[in-house]
Amino acid sequence: MALFLGPACLLLFLCFLAPVVVDVLLAFTDMGRNLRITRFTTENVERLLTGDRRLPGVLAVTGIYVLGTLAIFNLTFALVLALVTTAMPTSAGAFFRAVWLLPRMSPSVVYALLWGWVVAPTDYGLLNQTLQALGLPPIDLKSDAPVALIIVANGFIGASFGMIIFTSAIRSIPEHLFWAAQVDGASRLAIVRHVTLPAIRWQISFVTIYQALSLLVSFEYIWLITDGGPFYDTTVYALYVYQRAFNNGQYAYGAALALGLVLIGITAALILWRLMDMRALLQRPRIEVT
Amino acid sequence: MSTAALPLAEAPVDWQALAARARLRRRLSTAFLYLAMTLGALPVLVPYLWLVTVAFSGRTGASTLVLWRTLAVILPALVLASIVGMAIEDQRRRRRALLLIGGAALALLAIVTGPYLHLNNWRFLWNPDVADALKGASGVGTKFPSVWSAFFNSLAIAGAQMALVVVVSTLAGYYISRFAFSGRPLFLQGLLVLHAFPAMTLIIPIFLMMYWVGLQDTLLGVVLVITALELPFAIFVMKGFFDAVPWEIEMSAMTDGASRRQAFLHVVLPQVKVGMLAIAIFAFLRGWEEYVFVRTLLVAKENWTMSLYLFWTITDVMGVDYALVSAVGVFYVLPSVVLYTFTQKYLTQMTIGGIKG
Amino acid sequence: MNCLKLSVAALTFATAAGLAAPPPASAEEVTVKLWSRADRSGPLRAGNIVAAAEPLNAALKAAGSDKTVKVEVFEGPATGYDQDALDMLKAFSVGQGPDVYVAAHEWVGEFANSGYAMNLEDFVAANPWAFADVIPVLWEATRHQGQIHAIPQDSEIRMFFYNKDMLRKIGKDEAFIESLPELVDQGEFTMTDLSNLAKEVVDQGAAEMGIIHRPNTGPDYLMTFAAFGVRYLDEETGQLLLPKAEIQAGLEWFDWNARNGVTPENNTAMSWDEIQAAFKQEKAFIFHQGVWALPEFQLGDAKGAVWPTDEEGYFNKIGWIHAPAPEKGGEPANLSHPIVYVVNPQSPNADLAAMLVAFATLPYYNTQHAVGTAHTGVTYGQASMPAYKEAWYLGAAGPLLARSTFMPNHPDFARYNGILFKGLQGVETGRLTPEEAVDFLEDEMTNELGDALKVVDGLS
Repeated sequence: MALFLGPACLLLFLCFLAPVVVDVLLAFTDMGRNLRITRFTTENVERLLTGDRRLPGVLAVTGIYVLGTLAIFNLTFALVLALVTTAMPTSAGAFFRAVWLLPRMSPSVVYALLWGWVVAPTDYGLLNQTLQALGLPPIDLKSDAPVALIIVANGFIGASFGMIIFTSAIRSIPEHLFWAAQVDGASRLAIVRHVTLPAIRWQISFVTIYQALSLLVSFEYIWLITDGGPFYDTTVYALYVYQRAFNNGQYAYGAALALGLVLIGITAALILWRLMDMRALLQRPRIEVT
Repeated sequence: MSTAALPLAEAPVDWQALAARARLRRRLSTAFLYLAMTLGALPVLVPYLWLVTVAFSGRTGASTLVLWRTLAVILPALVLASIVGMAIEDQRRRRRALLLIGGAALALLAIVTGPYLHLNNWRFLWNPDVADALKGASGVGTKFPSVWSAFFNSLAIAGAQMALVVVVSTLAGYYISRFAFSGRPLFLQGLLVLHAFPAMTLIIPIFLMMYWVGLQDTLLGVVLVITALELPFAIFVMKGFFDAVPWEIEMSAMTDGASRRQAFLHVVLPQVKVGMLAIAIFAFLRGWEEYVFVRTLLVAKENWTMSLYLFWTITDVMGVDYALVSAVGVFYVLPSVVLYTFTQKYLTQMTIGGIKG
Repeated sequence: MNCLKLSVAALTFATAAGLAAPPPASAEEVTVKLWSRADRSGPLRAGNIVAAAEPLNAALKAAGSDKTVKVEVFEGPATGYDQDALDMLKAFSVGQGPDVYVAAHEWVGEFANSGYAMNLEDFVAANPWAFADVIPVLWEATRHQGQIHAIPQDSEIRMFFYNKDMLRKIGKDEAFIESLPELVDQGEFTMTDLSNLAKEVVDQGAAEMGIIHRPNTGPDYLMTFAAFGVRYLDEETGQLLLPKAEIQAGLEWFDWNARNGVTPENNTAMSWDEIQAAFKQEKAFIFHQGVWALPEFQLGDAKGAVWPTDEEGYFNKIGWIHAPAPEKGGEPANLSHPIVYVVNPQSPNADLAAMLVAFATLPYYNTQHAVGTAHTGVTYGQASMPAYKEAWYLGAAGPLLARSTFMPNHPDFARYNGILFKGLQGVETGRLTPEEAVDFLEDEMTNELGDALKVVDGLS
């Protein structure tokens, strides 16, 4: 057992669990820019709970962002992509899946750069050029609809994950179920509703939980594209933590905030786990270990 | 008792017409699907095409001049090619027609975009001093980072991390899939929850810990951290693949006299090759694009990676040469795209297993 | 017998050790580690220190020392001076700090507090051949608690660039156009007048945008606030100052500009490229930046338009003014942001590092940087060098230095500035009213700066 699980456990402990312990400790110190600890204090936690006027807004933005991206892109759009590409002949489907994996495969800096170019508010922006060619007035997404911007930008990336999982799941549904449904006169939509979706229930649950947590802690693309948006409009919690810690050098307060995020994440994960009844869906392993 | 006369002699059903109508409807819906998907794919593809065109034609800004011209040539050519591809049945004639269209498109492209193309933006490949062209005052003895050392650093990090992730997650995935050890559900739940740990924000504790362990400011430290971050997902995927390997294969190998380890290495492992490949690719790409940890954990060594290099060309407090940026961007993105194109067949076969039937 | 064996062994060992020991060094090479941001717009900041090793080694040799100095450069990937300073603090904290480094002057306080900036007061006094000619006002930017802790590396002049051609287009006469700098200097032309003039230009169609400024944190808008009477440091207590009334007045000016179409609401979301191109392509009337903008994009054919490169042609088109006074009879303001060299006192090579800085301050080296990147020199002597004179804009900018003030050398000022910019952004984009913004600033700053900040209702 040591050989198999050992390395994984060691790495996970070193890079996840131990830092969390250190993080808890840090949250109660006064570490600032110079990375020195001079005393232990609870002022950071106090500030987090009562004194931070930005926090409610940040939490609200985070909620909208996570729910919006999850619902619209990571689940729905991913399902649509998976369904459509499996309805096509294999090579065409593979081609389109490849296209939609491209955002996830390219380095984040490049992806963010391209988005910046596309939504540039002046005439340079690809979006504005397209709009103007269609006779519409130019828009400034970064200023006027920044939350929508980050939802779409992250959605393109997020959809590909679900798309892959759902595609392989749909492919493994036994063909005869489809034939039977068609013989019974079911329309395409009905087939989807009654045959496909129930068969991939586990994958949908898994993707929901996994992507919900992913969105909760991810901020890299938001950071690169809007840097928290005009004022604090697109500052999600994770980005807020990073900015407090690294832009301001307030490492101890950042640690306290990070702790809060960890707690929120764990709670969300546990609730979702329960809701989706994941335990029942886990496959029983083959070998008993006494 | 009178019964209504049953309509025995119905008008004969025209099966041919029905079938033809159904076929037509299917063709139309497929065509509609294709059209919708193509339009939907454009927002993804066009920006990358823009990046490439600017890399070869931009002066200091990201102009769309060459882009529109390129699109104006390529799109009609593609439409024409697909119509021709569907219409002409004969293999040879089709191939000749497609070649003809391709050649004409290329020639037209050369004519409309030719005058704008230049290789100046690629000067960073042979001359690290990219400021020279801009300001005319080059550094005396200061080294501008060389893109090649950044390239090889990125390669080293991504490669090492890939190897590590594959090995560790395969071992762990096998064990979790096969053995019902105590605490297994908890472990799986824990893996999922680990994903909720905002790894980015654990940077400072990780930084301090690396310092205490003595790994700080080394590439090894960075590799270890990034590996650990990839593990939850990788283990889940490998577990899924192992779940799909029938127990019978292993059983029969063992009854044939193979030890557990031999059964694992020679019988089970080849079955999950696809999974290992998929994990390897994701891990490599993750390591290739890594920016935040490299930036934070490498303190004083001049170990620039491609992500740092690109970021450096983009962020200039006073003014940016976007054409240079796009060339660097293309250079940076190319390995990802190449790797991905050749292996995407395997990526889409990933499954997370878990459920029976 | 045992004793004999032991002594023979010991003797052999000692001889072997003695033979194996390296001969006394005939030359000792000292490596001085230099940290600088990898800055494409100022490669000679680090380059001059590297070059300074040459005269230093010559001097050492002439004095009979057998030391030679080699400079090892580390270039950090930080995106700005603030980020670079944080990186350096991180490096220092794990014992990997440099011997000498390039920093923005307002960070000197933080470095000095943590013990990473050497007190150079005596060093400067002891080496007049290098430092006696330095423009005195620049020393203000290097003082921490009254003592010099850094050497100025360059200075820069900031101004509002205004487009004279547009003024001609809306019918202003030459006399008015040429008199603007004078009127500003005398306090006759105020901030309100500037806004109104810009609005006039925009309303009459000569420009799309009236006044545009930088899109990120920096020193520029500090100049504007200074014009409204804001002082950032409380001299007596050494605390940073937040004078609410004056800050609100400044924010109201920005607010008026944004609401009345003078400044685009998304100015802080535009990129540098767009802003500079807008000014160059004559879509914007006034641009607030500094003298280095001339060789960077204003002269010649960068950013999509061609402007004259000679002095006369340029000044026929563009004029420079300070930030005007808030009311008639007041004082205009200017702000300069010198970059400095700092020496690490904990380094074993501190004196050699300091000597390198002294050599790098000589006009020969400093002018190469100044001319190449259009920053103004640090000594008076440079102004008469032919190369310097050829960069006519440097000479023309010189007089503006007279009104220059500096950001305070307070460890927390970078944070103050970042929060101030956030508030400015909130007002400009319409998310906050000026009153709400002042509340926001007070709240954020007291939270982050604590005792380092003193909030007052007003200064007058």
